[in-house]
Amino acid sequence: MKHIEKGVSLRHAPADFIRDLNVDNVSAGFVAGIFGLSAGVIHISAGTAAGLDPHFIMIWVISYLMINGLFGLFMPAYYRLPLPMANSIPGALLFAAIIPVVGVEAALGASLIAGAISLVAGLAGVMGIVMKLIPMPIVMGMVGGILLKFGLNMVAPLEHAILPAAIMILAFFLAARFLRRVPPLIVAMLAGIAYMAYAGVDLSGIEFSVTFPEFIVPEFTLEAFLAYGLPLALILIGMETPAGVGLVKGMGYKEVPANAITAVGGFGTMISAFFNLHSTCIAAPMTGICSSPEAGKPDKRWVAAVIAGAIFVVGAPFYGYVVSLIEAMPGYFIAIVAGLALLRVITSAMHMTFSGKHEMGGLFSFLIAASGLQILGIGSSFWALVLGVFVSLLFETKDFEFIRRVAHEPSA
Amino acid sequence: MRRFKDWSIPAVTAGFVAVLVSYAGPLAIFFQAAQSAEISPAMMTSWVWAISMGAAVSGIGLSLWLKVPVVTAWSAPGTALLVTLFPELSLGEAVGAYLTAAAVILVIGVTGSFDRIIQLIPPGIASAMMAGILFQFGVGVFESLATVPALMIGMLLAYLVFKRLTPRYCLVWLLVVGVGLAVVLEGASLEGVTLQLASPTFIAPEWTWQGTLGLAIPLVLVSLTGQFLPGMAILRTSGYNTPARPIVTVASLTSLATACFGGITTVIAAITAAICTGEDAHPDRDKRYVAGIANGLFYLVGGTFAGTIVLLFTSLPGEFVAVLAGLALIGAIASNVSAFTAQKDHLEASVITFLATASGVSFLGLGSAFWGVVVGAIAYNLLHRRFAGKKAEERASDGAR
Repeated sequence: MKHIEKGVSLRHAPADFIRDLNVDNVSAGFVAGIFGLSAGVIHISAGTAAGLDPHFIMIWVISYLMINGLFGLFMPAYYRLPLPMANSIPGALLFAAIIPVVGVEAALGASLIAGAISLVAGLAGVMGIVMKLIPMPIVMGMVGGILLKFGLNMVAPLEHAILPAAIMILAFFLAARFLRRVPPLIVAMLAGIAYMAYAGVDLSGIEFSVTFPEFIVPEFTLEAFLAYGLPLALILIGMETPAGVGLVKGMGYKEVPANAITAVGGFGTMISAFFNLHSTCIAAPMTGICSSPEAGKPDKRWVAAVIAGAIFVVGAPFYGYVVSLIEAMPGYFIAIVAGLALLRVITSAMHMTFSGKHEMGGLFSFLIAASGLQILGIGSSFWALVLGVFVSLLFETKDFEFIRRVAHEPSA
Repeated sequence: MRRFKDWSIPAVTAGFVAVLVSYAGPLAIFFQAAQSAEISPAMMTSWVWAISMGAAVSGIGLSLWLKVPVVTAWSAPGTALLVTLFPELSLGEAVGAYLTAAAVILVIGVTGSFDRIIQLIPPGIASAMMAGILFQFGVGVFESLATVPALMIGMLLAYLVFKRLTPRYCLVWLLVVGVGLAVVLEGASLEGVTLQLASPTFIAPEWTWQGTLGLAIPLVLVSLTGQFLPGMAILRTSGYNTPARPIVTVASLTSLATACFGGITTVIAAITAAICTGEDAHPDRDKRYVAGIANGLFYLVGGTFAGTIVLLFTSLPGEFVAVLAGLALIGAIASNVSAFTAQKDHLEASVITFLATASGVSFLGLGSAFWGVVVGAIAYNLLHRRFAGKKAEERASDGAR
């Protein structure tokens, strides 16, 4: 356990939580939580596209919120850092695609192995070295590209909702400029709700339901491991952790427990495998929201992540109800709120990517991640890192001078 | 030409390389525009003829007149803009917008207000819009992996290798290797490529407000900030204290003349200018203007045989052109993105401009480049601009309460 970073402690966490509570981190936590809840839509659409059973999709999403939420309560509270936990979205898409081929049990078995690999990687302490081999501008280029694709996909449907979009965005700008105290995002949300109240939103016909995660015993097959387990392990170790850690570091936090995030994510993924869920890991977009300046003072932003986790756990059993609510709310509302929330993250990601060193590698990483390409069934975020580092080694070899330093301090 | 003694082989070679690089890289973007406009090879030939002649005449004239290596070309970001606007925009509307843009630039040139206008535009916003327009081309390289994986990987590797070994000739070698790969891997045939003289086709201009707002205004903006500004900067850092006025004026007059044949705005070159203004062209600064003249002469040759160039590009697969155009723009994307991210004082407005432009969202028939500037300008004024007078007033009224 010597590679697992020490955190503050859980003992005083509840008291400190109340002490550190403020408007900024509560609103950021809510935004991140709602953002995470809305990500369930991705599971629903991917599962439906893959022809999965609606009941399975429902317990999959419920597990996602419940299990990820529990880990999301513990991680930020122990480390006092904005480290919200969720699942891997690329992993979810792979998972939905592999189930019709190998079956649910075999897919979950592969998840279990991927989780074990991630746990071992974290315990062995390789994350620090992985993070140093992959320079920050390249990681941030990848993060920027992924978020950009996400952001652009959200902007596209706004062509049909230009009026509420304009109202909410203008409210955001004006609040950012003239109302120093109130978070601009809250103002934008209030403006949006006001518009919806005026335009009339039909919330009747939404049925209340309560669902809990279900236990399942995984199976192990080589096919499932090669087609899905191995890519998932690569995604968890090579992408989700660096993306999350990169974001938190990008926001100015010096000590980020990369090994612990990987190990806990691996352990969480192993637990997830018994409850119809494909993974547990640090959640990049939510991390972006919780760790951004929107969430207030840096040493109190961890509260936002805890709130996001709490929203997950509390929301999980009622998610059937939430799904209906999300479906009833016009799509543009979540799209704009999430887009505005991610704006600062994209800004800082781009600033870090193009701040001097590794610019060429960063640019390739950025473009590849934004292109969404797939090679060998592995998504663009992984290849963005690989090619970004390759290009940087080719053109910006001298920017890698710290590699030599790493060689002198092997336990870094 | 009484000063034939100034002519030298390196200067002529520099002019030739600049033309070759232009045809290998930026022309690919123009071909993409032609593909999205779904025009005939004959019309495309006219376009290539027009832009080549525009570059030839203005380049030779300015280099002879000013005794400075002025390399002119067509507005590369302008052609990138076209790709996103066709086919909703008609050819006539495009030509109308070219004429409007040329007239606006002419006024800017004649009145000598170039430097003042450049200072009015926040640098981050301008670069962010450029980056947003060019961004799609860079992403397009990697998106074509799904359709032509072998060609894309081969060309990417070739680009990286040549960029490392011979950065100056990178695009030329990339074109050669790319054509070879397209023939071997995609079964493209070059048999139909023969020498053909170009005959220009007249397009009647048409003025609409979509064309003016959606193309002409962004075209003026990207031409000023993306071509004239870096082009003048390259001339000045090479030690030529040439005023902007004659260059902007002559370039816009040429644009007016070639517009009706499909020639998009003629501008001072940014991508290729450095080839002719640097030491490689001639050790003696006063003799480098020959490179500018040679550059124009080779454009004359290229324009005359525009039909052959069109045949070459049309016999290659569309994905090849997309990959080539994207790789040719990598450098431009990098410099624009790092230019706007370096402007920390209005970074947020720049990112908003970039996102809105890159989104490709069109609204009210106007492209995302227009909306990018509009949203960016609003964001800049709301978020970052200092209202010195207003602040003082507010404070006064607060005190009164």
